[in-house]
Amino acid sequence: MKLASSQKITGFTLSELLVTVSLSSIILAAAITSAVALQKSFSAADNYLATHIQQVRIIDYLNRDVKRGLIVTTSVDLQSVTMTLPNYLIQAGDPEAVNPSLIGTPRTPTIAYTSNGWQVNYSPSTTTVVYSINGNSIVRVENGVVTTIASSTDQLVPQTTDVDLANTEYASTTVTFMPVFNLAGNTADRTGTTLFATAYLRNKRRG
Amino acid sequence: MRVSPKTDRRANVLLCVLCTILIVSVIGGNVLLNCVTRYNTASSQVRSWKESLDAAEAGGDVAYAEIRKTILDRTHAFSGWTYSGGVYSNSPITFGRDNLSTSSKVDLFHYDSNGNPWYRIRTNGTSPVMGLRRVTMDDRMGVGTRGDSLLRKIDFNYDHFIATYGPNGDNVGKTLLPVTQPQITRRVELIAAPMTPFEAAIKANGLFYGLGSAAYIDSYRSTAGAYDPNVKNNPSDPRYVDSHSGTVEINSSVATIMGSIYGNVYTNGGTVTKNTTSISGIIDNNVPFTLPPFYMPDTSLWTYVANPSAVTGNTTINPPAAGTAGSPNYYLMTSFATNGSLTVNAYTSNGTVQETYVAVHVTGDVGSSSGQGATITIADHVHLQLYFDGNFGAKAQNIINNSGFAGNLQIYGISPTDPSVQQTIALNSGGGSTAGFDATFYAPSANFTVNGGPDFVGAIVCKAFYSNGNVHWHYDRQLDNIGDAVDYRIVSYVEDTR
Repeated sequence: MKLASSQKITGFTLSELLVTVSLSSIILAAAITSAVALQKSFSAADNYLATHIQQVRIIDYLNRDVKRGLIVTTSVDLQSVTMTLPNYLIQAGDPEAVNPSLIGTPRTPTIAYTSNGWQVNYSPSTTTVVYSINGNSIVRVENGVVTTIASSTDQLVPQTTDVDLANTEYASTTVTFMPVFNLAGNTADRTGTTLFATAYLRNKRRG
Repeated sequence: MRVSPKTDRRANVLLCVLCTILIVSVIGGNVLLNCVTRYNTASSQVRSWKESLDAAEAGGDVAYAEIRKTILDRTHAFSGWTYSGGVYSNSPITFGRDNLSTSSKVDLFHYDSNGNPWYRIRTNGTSPVMGLRRVTMDDRMGVGTRGDSLLRKIDFNYDHFIATYGPNGDNVGKTLLPVTQPQITRRVELIAAPMTPFEAAIKANGLFYGLGSAAYIDSYRSTAGAYDPNVKNNPSDPRYVDSHSGTVEINSSVATIMGSIYGNVYTNGGTVTKNTTSISGIIDNNVPFTLPPFYMPDTSLWTYVANPSAVTGNTTINPPAAGTAGSPNYYLMTSFATNGSLTVNAYTSNGTVQETYVAVHVTGDVGSSSGQGATITIADHVHLQLYFDGNFGAKAQNIINNSGFAGNLQIYGISPTDPSVQQTIALNSGGGSTAGFDATFYAPSANFTVNGGPDFVGAIVCKAFYSNGNVHWHYDRQLDNIGDAVDYRIVSYVEDTR
């Protein structure tokens, strides 16, 4: 008996294999690159939004204090803001605090007439609040107590300008940051993130 | 047997590519969705936080409007509010597309030296928080450091303020109060201060004519020393800063201004320039204002004294008590003779003269613009507030204020209920006298006329102003906090950030 030797063994030729491997590699590389790029993009977008929220928070903190502030001053580089706020609440150590039940309760203000008109005073003493940059963080210091109100590696920079006119006073603040995706630190990348706000002192102390 | 494996092993490259793209897209979409969702939640919470302050301030406006009514429309002030324990409260008001709500409490916490009440407004505003019940991006602040939730205190399940500090923030009545949906509430405290009427030397709501070509208006501050006519021309004098506040405010575009004004001039659409007259201060021709009618103040806290009940001939008031600014000795008089003379003496206790507060309400005319007119004499230490419903006529030299302080003789013209009735105030200097007097006039519905050239210390608020004499008019800056409240303004703003 003669064995049929016509058994047809099919397979890839070397050239087919090479082409296949090459194409697969290219597709895989493209896929991986795309995935990484996507992840980076989304991460950057996520980071941008998170930092933007922190910009908003800085503005909101500042404006809340400016509105109730008696006096606002800024440093020469505009990056540090010092405010004087009324002591609305009785705190431990205050003269009224001899009655412990009064701690944490609002004061009734007193009225005084000065050469600049009537003044409403909640307490002879006041609270000092300072906003400044500390490394990658923006900190708020109230009577020595430090609170980090924003922190980012995106170089958040708030700048506040205090404008004191005859009958009014306001503070204009801008907050910028350098997003992760930028063109080699181009200035436009920072200015494009500018958030701007103005708040008026409602308790301006004249004179 | 022939085995035919017939295996067609072709790689489906297209399928692999599609699967890869699908997986990458799912990853990317998920990241994007997560990112946007958290951003939207954060944005929603920021919006709610800001809107809750808007709501609180709207509540403050509502309360402020009621406080103004205590002067401008007393019968309707705090109508619909509840009053308990000295505090007015209103029911929550819901408004706006985002269902904001606000409620306020108002209490009278202080009487000033004029007897005018000061009000405290405590108001809160609430805004619902849409979206997920969760804090947002404050995990970005680092381990153990809170961000947004430290600033924006969101009540997800319970009202944290009432639970921690009580409904009034005074540690009383703390309770767990569930909220129907997440919300942010912000609380502000405002102080409404009375506005007194004498902020300028002359304030006219209508036409203005005057003064004489050789007249002048200047100012001084009585607490810094007696009036000295040389101070206004001597910048080195420490009192100089108070000598250029003889301001004239005219709510009209029609004004004839003569003489020298050591102060500012404001008109409503006028064309006053430095060239038209001698004005030391600024000129602003775009300063409109409103002068509401003046009504008799609330007398419920005043001490009524029955006699005298009219000024006929020479009438003297000897008050039975010193009284206070908030509760003066109150005389209601039906008439004041055309040539009548009213003398008010101070109250003496144990031989010591007391600061004595007297209010007189004349329900008709006071004196007359012709003839002798009224004579009014107040002793030192007397604080007289004279209200009249009709017209006022007197000679300048017959207004005798022995205290020397214009704020101690305040004369108020009650606005006529009939708008067709024109109220008048006429001051004449008899026989060319330059005798002076110290007084203030507040009569927003009266046409004011002063003839001759008296030496006048005080302030006048009127409808139309006419003066043809060479008056020497000295505004006392100390008058800017003297007198009855004619309106209210917000002078203090504090947010309870707890």
